[in-house]
Amino acid sequence: MKHLISLEINGELHEIALEPYATLLQVLREELGLLGTKKGCDSGGCGCCTVLLDGLAVYSCMVFAAAAQGRKITSIEGISENGKLDPLQESFIQSGAVQCGFCTCGMILAAKAFLSTARSPSDQDIRQSISGNLCRCTGYHKIVDAIRMASVNR
Amino acid sequence: MGMSGVKEFCRPQTARDVVELLEKYGDRAVLLAGGTFLHGLFATGLSSGAKVLVDLQKAGLSYVKARNGGLALGAMTTFRELAESEPVQKRPEFAAIRDALQYPPPQIRNQATVGGCVAAALPLFDLPVALMAVDGSVTALGPRGSREVRLDKFFVDYFENALETSEFLTDVLLPKLPPRSASAFLKLETNANDLALLNVGTHVTLDESGICREARVVIGGGVGKVPVRMVSAESVLKGQRPSAKLLEEASQAVSADLHPVSDHRASAQYRSAVAKVYVRRTLKRAIGQLGIELD
Repeated sequence: MKHLISLEINGELHEIALEPYATLLQVLREELGLLGTKKGCDSGGCGCCTVLLDGLAVYSCMVFAAAAQGRKITSIEGISENGKLDPLQESFIQSGAVQCGFCTCGMILAAKAFLSTARSPSDQDIRQSISGNLCRCTGYHKIVDAIRMASVNR
Repeated sequence: MGMSGVKEFCRPQTARDVVELLEKYGDRAVLLAGGTFLHGLFATGLSSGAKVLVDLQKAGLSYVKARNGGLALGAMTTFRELAESEPVQKRPEFAAIRDALQYPPPQIRNQATVGGCVAAALPLFDLPVALMAVDGSVTALGPRGSREVRLDKFFVDYFENALETSEFLTDVLLPKLPPRSASAFLKLETNANDLALLNVGTHVTLDESGICREARVVIGGGVGKVPVRMVSAESVLKGQRPSAKLLEEASQAVSADLHPVSDHRASAQYRSAVAKVYVRRTLKRAIGQLGIELD
């Protein structure tokens, strides 16, 4: 049975009728058409579905949408401001850190949560910050380059 | 979909309300803590009878606070909150917890909870082994009030804990440990997101002259249905002054208590061999917390 649920996504309040077992990932992709968040393994192993919940990175495939009520949800579509890309989006483009692109949105959001508290991270810190995200193209070096660039250029 | 039977989602405001819901719905209710384990249960069909999800997020169970000289960890405290708490960051006796929480990736640390991880009763998890090493217990709250259960009695079998009908886990309790106590944890895994092939938690207390008075060695991972105390190794340590030789003897003694399984991830023979190495290293790491470096 569907219930009406209220979610704050990218600063906008949405009222959506949902089954109680709907995941945040399903809501983003299937209800709201926010397709930047990817469905990879759907079991908390790949990180493609990473979004921010009150600024912290989580796997949206493992978050029940009903449990995200009252919290601020940020997907990749919500990090640019007034048409201007987030510095991390810019650095991913400039570093060539996007290969097939499937992991990119999750990588950027994991990195964004990380850089919000890390002042001058080492490469080791950066690698740790994306330890919950898989890149099947194995393009990790350029991803680390991109996060380092965004960290220096802010 | 394993979850399609779920019809309702409840968000009780107090721990008492949670018990009332459990009494009302019985087996049809499934408790939701962080959710990282629950999704796996649903995906594999292990929770297919669930009709009602009871979300514990609003029940006031997120805290790390002092209690009887030790600590009470609220069931809904996330791995991140626990790792960032002052006692876990600073006190040598809780270093095993600090060590164990370094393994999961940020997304899991932000979402997974102390109570969810312990109540899951999966011997492959890390935090329960670290909590057992520091002599942890849990508070079970039910219709007849609350009771305390030591962790080594709480874990019963794969996915099975000692909670009675309509009870749930509200706190993990850590006792006051004597001065010069220290602990450590190490995990053997095949990659950054893996469950343990084997994990070890150790705890030692030295007296003023540097003699070991208390020791606990716990091994989890593929060594049984529950994490196992290595009592033979512990008795080698007690009453002795730690040295590289003593740690080697203690690690050899685990053979008496260790009966690992063979599975597609590692053979029993491999687990037995590597357990000794990990016990020695974890003991060395715990003793190192007290400023004593052994060769």
